[in-house]
Amino acid sequence: MVSAISIIAIGLGAAFLLGLMREGREALAHALTVLALGAMSAVAVGWLWLLGPGGAAVQEITTAGTMPPFAINLRVGLTEAVALVMITLAGLASALHMRAVLLRMGRRAMAVLLIAVMALAGIVMTRDLFNLFVFFELAAISTGGMVLLSDDEDALGAGFKYMIVAQIVSILLLIGIIFAYHATGSLNIDDMGGLAAMGGGAALAVFLVVAALVLETKPFPANGWALDIYQAAHPGFSAILSAGTGTAALIAVDKFAGAGGAALAPVLTGLGLLTFVAANLLGLAQTNDRRLLGYSSVAQTGLILAVIGQREALGESYLLIAGGLLVGHAIAKAGLFWLSGLVKGRDLTDWATLRRSPLLVFAMATFLAMLLGLPPFPGFYAKWALVHGLVASGGGALVALVLIGALIEAGYLLRWFGFTMKREASEAVASTPAELALVLAVALAGWGAGWIWGEVGPYENLLRAPALLLALAFLLLDWLPARVKNVAAIAALIGGFAASFASYDPLQMIFAAIIMPGGAVILLASFYEHGRRVGFYPSAMLMFAGMAMLIVAQSSFGFFAAWEVLTVGSYFLILRGKYSEPHALSYVLFSLGGAFAIMAGFALASGGMANFTMAALAQVPLTLAPWVFILLALGFMTKTAAIGLHIWLPGAHAEAETDVSPMVSGILLKAGLFGLMVLMLQMGSPSLYGVKLTYVLLWIGALTALIGNLIAAFQEDAKRLLAYSSIGQMGYAIFGIALMNHLGWLMALMFVINHYIYKSMLFLSVGGVAKRTGTRLMYKMGGLIALMPLSFIAVLIGIIAMSGVPPLSGFGGRWIFYNAIMESDARAPMIVIFLSGPIAFLYLFRLIHSIFLGQLKDENRRLREAPFWIVLPQMLYTAFLLVFAVVPGLALRRVDGYLSTIFPEHGLNWDGLTIRSDYGYWSPVSVMAVTVGIFASVLLLLVLLNHRAQKVKQFNIVYSAERPFRPETTHFAWNFFAPYRKALGFLLAPLATTFWDGVTGSLHGAADFLRRFYTGDGQHYAYHVLGFVLVLILIVGGGL
Amino acid sequence: MIKRAIAFALLAGLGLVFLALWQGFEPDPSLNRSALYYAENTVTDTGAANIVAAVIVTYRGLDTLGEVTVLFLTAAIVAMVLRGGLADSGPRPGRWPTGELLHTGSRLLVPLIALFGAYVFLNGHLTPGGGFQGGAIIASAMLLMLLTDPARNFSHRLIATTESVSGLAYVAIGLAGMALAGGFLDNRILPMGEFGSILSAGAIPLIYALIGLKVGAEFSSILLSLSEREK
Amino acid sequence: MVYLALATGFALILLGLYGAITRRNLLRLIVGFTVADTGTHLVMVSVGYLPGRTAPILGAAVPPEVAALRIIDPVPQALVLTAIVIGLGVTALMLAYAWRIYATRGTLDISRLRQLKW
Repeated sequence: MVSAISIIAIGLGAAFLLGLMREGREALAHALTVLALGAMSAVAVGWLWLLGPGGAAVQEITTAGTMPPFAINLRVGLTEAVALVMITLAGLASALHMRAVLLRMGRRAMAVLLIAVMALAGIVMTRDLFNLFVFFELAAISTGGMVLLSDDEDALGAGFKYMIVAQIVSILLLIGIIFAYHATGSLNIDDMGGLAAMGGGAALAVFLVVAALVLETKPFPANGWALDIYQAAHPGFSAILSAGTGTAALIAVDKFAGAGGAALAPVLTGLGLLTFVAANLLGLAQTNDRRLLGYSSVAQTGLILAVIGQREALGESYLLIAGGLLVGHAIAKAGLFWLSGLVKGRDLTDWATLRRSPLLVFAMATFLAMLLGLPPFPGFYAKWALVHGLVASGGGALVALVLIGALIEAGYLLRWFGFTMKREASEAVASTPAELALVLAVALAGWGAGWIWGEVGPYENLLRAPALLLALAFLLLDWLPARVKNVAAIAALIGGFAASFASYDPLQMIFAAIIMPGGAVILLASFYEHGRRVGFYPSAMLMFAGMAMLIVAQSSFGFFAAWEVLTVGSYFLILRGKYSEPHALSYVLFSLGGAFAIMAGFALASGGMANFTMAALAQVPLTLAPWVFILLALGFMTKTAAIGLHIWLPGAHAEAETDVSPMVSGILLKAGLFGLMVLMLQMGSPSLYGVKLTYVLLWIGALTALIGNLIAAFQEDAKRLLAYSSIGQMGYAIFGIALMNHLGWLMALMFVINHYIYKSMLFLSVGGVAKRTGTRLMYKMGGLIALMPLSFIAVLIGIIAMSGVPPLSGFGGRWIFYNAIMESDARAPMIVIFLSGPIAFLYLFRLIHSIFLGQLKDENRRLREAPFWIVLPQMLYTAFLLVFAVVPGLALRRVDGYLSTIFPEHGLNWDGLTIRSDYGYWSPVSVMAVTVGIFASVLLLLVLLNHRAQKVKQFNIVYSAERPFRPETTHFAWNFFAPYRKALGFLLAPLATTFWDGVTGSLHGAADFLRRFYTGDGQHYAYHVLGFVLVLILIVGGGL
Repeated sequence: MIKRAIAFALLAGLGLVFLALWQGFEPDPSLNRSALYYAENTVTDTGAANIVAAVIVTYRGLDTLGEVTVLFLTAAIVAMVLRGGLADSGPRPGRWPTGELLHTGSRLLVPLIALFGAYVFLNGHLTPGGGFQGGAIIASAMLLMLLTDPARNFSHRLIATTESVSGLAYVAIGLAGMALAGGFLDNRILPMGEFGSILSAGAIPLIYALIGLKVGAEFSSILLSLSEREK
Repeated sequence: MVYLALATGFALILLGLYGAITRRNLLRLIVGFTVADTGTHLVMVSVGYLPGRTAPILGAAVPPEVAALRIIDPVPQALVLTAIVIGLGVTALMLAYAWRIYATRGTLDISRLRQLKW
């Protein structure tokens, strides 16, 4: 293998060679540039290969035939090799990406690019402090040159501001270097370990050098210059600036950090986290895509700086974390900058033009997922290891900061993705195949990096998980017609269930049954969709894969990874709805917030250990247990939309597509429930300050049920009504498991199945009706019973099942529930949950009454029954409900037996078809017989009595020569429960919405206020830099 | 006013840092270990009499290569900046012709200056001076020519070729050091010669000559770019 | 002597920086930086100075055998040469930028270059 110093020699040689070329041979010059960068990349990749898989020793390269410190030496270890690969490849790709502008600007520009890449490589390799300075200056000057490639007129100003800052930095660096040399008699960085401990001039010198090097990483607030450059420079160069320069600066800080000693580490951490949080906050207020990317770059670099500060504490996992963040960020940011080169407008909403090309959307989604640390990318492993490492070293507050910053970042990045997917798209992107290929290659490199991180890390490689691979395979199939893919998806779900059928325990079996076969039934409705339905199947299958992985997860890592996978899949799925942009965003932010709580909970529980089984939750020490319980429960309850955390649900479920609503409502919500069950199964009920946490959950469940039902009753939109009803229903479920007794759990598990069935069924039938009528507002419907009888039957059966009246399975659930309550002594929440029962009747009644009964609207007279494929699953559900009502033992008996192993007391007795509890018995068959008998006789009576009933007109109101302002308000179904609203309206105050609006509002306000700090004046930036250096010296110096 | 006050306060802070450095400074009583090594080994390692030259060209040769690159880079960027600006508005009238005396004087001086420059960089390993100083002197001859006859056309091509060929040769010598001697930019690829003579110190005089040519060409190129803007 | 040179160097840096961060005119600002650069170079050579010694050039005056006792530190001298050249490169670059800014915007006032902010 050729020496790594040849990267420098090739870069320089090619640059000089370009000088020999004649004007007018630009194409040749460009070929030479690409060739040289290719050769540099090849050397870098070769060394990475040798040092990584090859296991070669760290390479020491001496120059001038003299040993260091008397001559300059270079070093290439694994870290350096990774950085070199990223820098050279970023340079190569940018040279290809910027071909047009390079040809226009001529060979000089190409020489500048070559030298820029060469200089960054030099920064990474050199071990000599002054040599580091030389390479930094080369990088700075070439940056000054590359900025000129931009078409943006403002680039000149940005370049000049940059040079002002570069000058100040270089003066500080030189003073620092010369005094460090004076103190050690050497310029070699390896001779400067612990130099700051000498105090006096040596310490000051170290701080000056550190300040200068840290300034190169663009720390908050001394980074206005960098943001201007990001915004104004050619995106091809911004990619190098973000991926290459940022990497090189971080490596430089990492190299020199040893000289700062112990006092420096916390300062780097603090600075990095401050930058991470502040830059992300400021990112919220950005509308220019490149400036936004700039803020995000600054933030990510800050996070890595913080990791460098925690190097000692993180120990072995340091490389995995820092490398994962660095590689993920470099690939993603370079890719996004190149993408921004394809988008004409500079506003974030202009990115909607990408939507015309699914491949570009795939690339963008990949890059965003990498930045956010979602599975299966390197950042995911890094994030997990970082949080665990920090917890292990007692840095709980740091974890909080990291997670808050990451959540804000997710906020603006995913909002941007929402714009891309949902906003008005002008024309398609004009991209050449080469540009497209480049961006795609980078995206694939991201997946490759994810594979590598999965392999080298101490965790499972997610890209080896069969379920995930199966879901990802649908990405490759996306060119097929939707119906073909639908068959494949159903086959995959059924096949997956069949394959692991034997290995489930009864608890897992219940969830698996609704996830896989249940999902397949809902997918029947998807046959209704024509065309290719690009993106639907990968998203849906990702969600199903996540759910399937979740229920079998053994380790906390596997559980969390599955949780994130299902979150990502369902986010993409929900985002597909026509008007779901804001709702999908709030869904994913709540979910990610919840996921972070879960991650923190696991980290706390494991004490930072990398491998922690779910079963080990039972062994968490008593002092920690309540906190772990709270964090995990909080995370799970964001998914079940418990009261206060529920505001994302109505919009997300209601605005989703017809076949998506049942998936996210009937299936996805159960993930949270599963989590809570596993949690309580392992941890029981810890107490905090003498309060049993399950008692708190009882209250949460009860209030959720009450408020969810109440709000549902006042909805005009049928799908929103169902969505709020889901909130209430999940409240029941939480209440049930929080009872912590046999029957409570039995009720909850029965509820898992029941809720899946009737909520899927209702969403499908209401969705079918909405498809036909073109509205979801109930007062615009009415009288559809004759036109859509099958839908009517489905809704009727559904609400009977749901309301818990005989004869359907809901009654059984209710019966078990009341038995369970009687065993508990939590009286007060019990009253609340009793109250919410009747309220459920109110909204359920509306579904039947306003949609199907009453008089038909004129515009609806020609409607037909809902499409066959949407009705088919409803009929299957109806049949199942009827069977389950008569013989509930089919499923319940096994579960009951299983629960007896957990809660041996107060189980049920199975006596043929009759079921006995401590308090009474339930005989489903006789209930069915009696109910049907009573119903039939009452019906007969009514028909006999009312055969000559008179029909009334619809708008039964006298206008008195005046047209009402809003005619629909005169419809009887409008504001149906006005009297109740008067009585109970005070409970409807949107406290949670107001609260969360306040949170986002104040974040945005803070961002808008803070960013005025970056006045755009180069001299103010100089003040920031000087002030930054002084404060840094004060802090570090004071710490000595 | 506020701006001045802030600037003043910040610089006062920096001044305090400098004051601390100044107060804590003690001149070394004897050479530190790097300097001692150079004092004792320069002659045997490199054969150069001028230790600074040995440090610049050999021990810290990578710095110097970077330094030359800085000039190359600056020359390229300055040319990019200045040529990419306004469209040439043609020669501006109203410039007085330079006098006969100046012309003749410069014709006499330019070769002498160039010769002196060459002397400085060729003797860099023996006496004070070296490639950068020699190159700067050569460029000053260029400056003189530009001042005496601003309308004169210089061959960009020649300058660019000089610049590139000497740069390439420099890199090639560096690589030759890896192949033939102890490492990149090792000067012992050529015989060491007799200490103190002009043909000694291995590749140092050669490198210095290349640096001299390159620096002279780069400065000339920058000057030329700037002056052409004036036309 | 050394202390005086050192103090002068520091003073030049502060003076130059003061000019560079308070003057609005780009050219004056650049001049400020060159002054500060010069100060930096002065500081660098001062640090390498050993009282009572001579330049690190061997020959009749300083035979190689006694060099260790007679010469000053050669390293800062080498460094300062590099620093000077780099400073020169940056100055040339800033001047070119200033010209281009004047050509496109018609101003040399740095406070007019505030299009990018926030």
